[in-house]
Amino acid sequence: MRKRTLHRGLTAFWWATLAFLYLPLAVVVLFSFNAANSAASFTGVSLRWYHQLMGNEEILSAFANSLVLAISSSVIALGIGCLIGYGMYRHRHRKLGWLIVLIYLPIVLPDIVFGISEMAFFVQIHRLTGLLQPGLGTMIIAHVTFQIPFVALIVYSRFVGLDPTLFEAAKDLYASPVKRVVHFMLPTIKPALISAFFLSFTLSVDDFVISFFTAGPESATLPIYIWGAIKKGVSPEINAIATLMIGAVAIAAIMSLLFSRRRPA
Amino acid sequence: MNETITADAVAASHPRPSGATAEGEAARQASAIEMQGLHKRFGRTTVALDGVDLTIEAGEFFTLLGPSGCGKTTLLRILAGLEEADDGRLAIGGRDITEVPPHRRSVNTVFQSYALFPHLSVRENLAFGLKMRGMAAAARNAKVDEIADFIKLGDLVDRRVDQLSGGQRQRIALARALVCEPDVLLLDEPLSALDAGLRSQLQVELLRVQKRLGMTFVFVTHDQQEAMVMSDRIAVLNGGVIQQVGPPREVYERPVNAFVARFMGHDNLYPVTARQGGRLTTALGELAAEEAGEGDLLLIRPETLDLLPGEVAGDNHLPAVVAERLYRGSHAEYRLEIGDTTLQATLNNRGRHLPEVGDRVTVTVAPDDLVTLSE
Repeated sequence: MRKRTLHRGLTAFWWATLAFLYLPLAVVVLFSFNAANSAASFTGVSLRWYHQLMGNEEILSAFANSLVLAISSSVIALGIGCLIGYGMYRHRHRKLGWLIVLIYLPIVLPDIVFGISEMAFFVQIHRLTGLLQPGLGTMIIAHVTFQIPFVALIVYSRFVGLDPTLFEAAKDLYASPVKRVVHFMLPTIKPALISAFFLSFTLSVDDFVISFFTAGPESATLPIYIWGAIKKGVSPEINAIATLMIGAVAIAAIMSLLFSRRRPA
Repeated sequence: MNETITADAVAASHPRPSGATAEGEAARQASAIEMQGLHKRFGRTTVALDGVDLTIEAGEFFTLLGPSGCGKTTLLRILAGLEEADDGRLAIGGRDITEVPPHRRSVNTVFQSYALFPHLSVRENLAFGLKMRGMAAAARNAKVDEIADFIKLGDLVDRRVDQLSGGQRQRIALARALVCEPDVLLLDEPLSALDAGLRSQLQVELLRVQKRLGMTFVFVTHDQQEAMVMSDRIAVLNGGVIQQVGPPREVYERPVNAFVARFMGHDNLYPVTARQGGRLTTALGELAAEEAGEGDLLLIRPETLDLLPGEVAGDNHLPAVVAERLYRGSHAEYRLEIGDTTLQATLNNRGRHLPEVGDRVTVTVAPDDLVTLSE
């Protein structure tokens, strides 16, 4: 009897936690479809805020920036992180110690520290060479730096999960170094690569702090636009943007999860 | 002309891996393995191979036998090209391949863990080596069907790797290596992960495959029974050094030293304290031995002994007491006491009297069954 009560209590706690996490999101989604101008009351379902978004040049350019930033930084991070992950795997028996810590550090470092450092660095480089004018380019570099460790770790853990004899079997079965990469390594870690790509994409779309410090005047992303817009008060338009972002990130996160779980058949 | 057609027709009606054709025969004759002075160490201190000279004949089923850490797997990996020797030469079919990388050697390996690619189907696994060598898809498929028929894989070919049992994986791994028709097939304890029944079944199957193809097989195992069943010749290794090379009977019946004797399962080893002509003195007493050889350790194989009831006097007749008897159905194993010394004997159960524990018996042995060897 007591066990049952406990079980019910825990179930209730579970739903309460979910509500705590998702109710605010639900409110934003709900009000993005509100017909009224004010967030004070919900007067009816309407798509007017979404229509308004489509006509807003600033929002459309922020959306495009976010997309270009997320895709290009993820692709670059995938390439570099993949090589680092493989390197970590190949040298896993060596004492790498602090080198490994260097890879992990960006994950735990506060975004604000990271953002300020990147900004200061880019400013110095720009002062000295004229290169790295703040803008989409510097943002891509900054995003790649925080995406790399995640990609490297995902790729590394996929390699560690493999029977090491497979590498030898590929050699034994006449695969040259290039063919081993094309016909064995890449297909074997493909699920990990796809998962890492979507995770990087999510992290990039998600990021405000680092983008804020490394952006130029023309390269506002959606989070930066929202930040600017809410100074004038939360308009229902912001709810619509937020809802679209929730959708995009949720899809990317689910894809990342699906591919990280999928064992190659 | 007619003969050619007939031969083709026969070949077509009995599809076999084309290693069995006349050209294949000639090629195989040239696939003997020669190793000269192979050395390998890991780190500064661990010596894996300490000067191995060995010739393996073409078409031979050759076994590298020894305890773990004896260097047998290292030697196999050097043959495969997966490990590089620090010193020494390696040639297959007269061609020096010491420096040739594994993907350019006509050598394939059946790995202990089978190492089937998880991202590929069974068929793609089987075709992998052919694909890497640039064979066209249609030809690959034909080869895979041929080998699947030869190894009797049946519908396994269309399954996923994760749907296979251990024994099935083992056979796929064997087929994947065989389909490439290498000069030499290497097998790294391929049966050790299987249960006893399946293991002996696959031993027989492997042996038949090797005899039919006439391919050179180099087999690694730590199981002396398996080595004796399978091999044309065995090399016993210890500490990176070959102790003895020979056919199973020779290695079992005439081990050259105490290590080989113990590894082949012999316990009856007695130091020879005095020697006069053909007569040896040991803790058991005095024994006549013909052609016993050099060395001051006497080996008495348990199955060469006979037990007579009671005390019987005579040459090579030793009085003993039965201390223990293990009845095994087809035979019985005895632990006998002769003074303070124990002696193992095995008696075939041919419906005769099997002495009981505590019985006084006389042990007899023929002089030509006694072997001496060095420590």
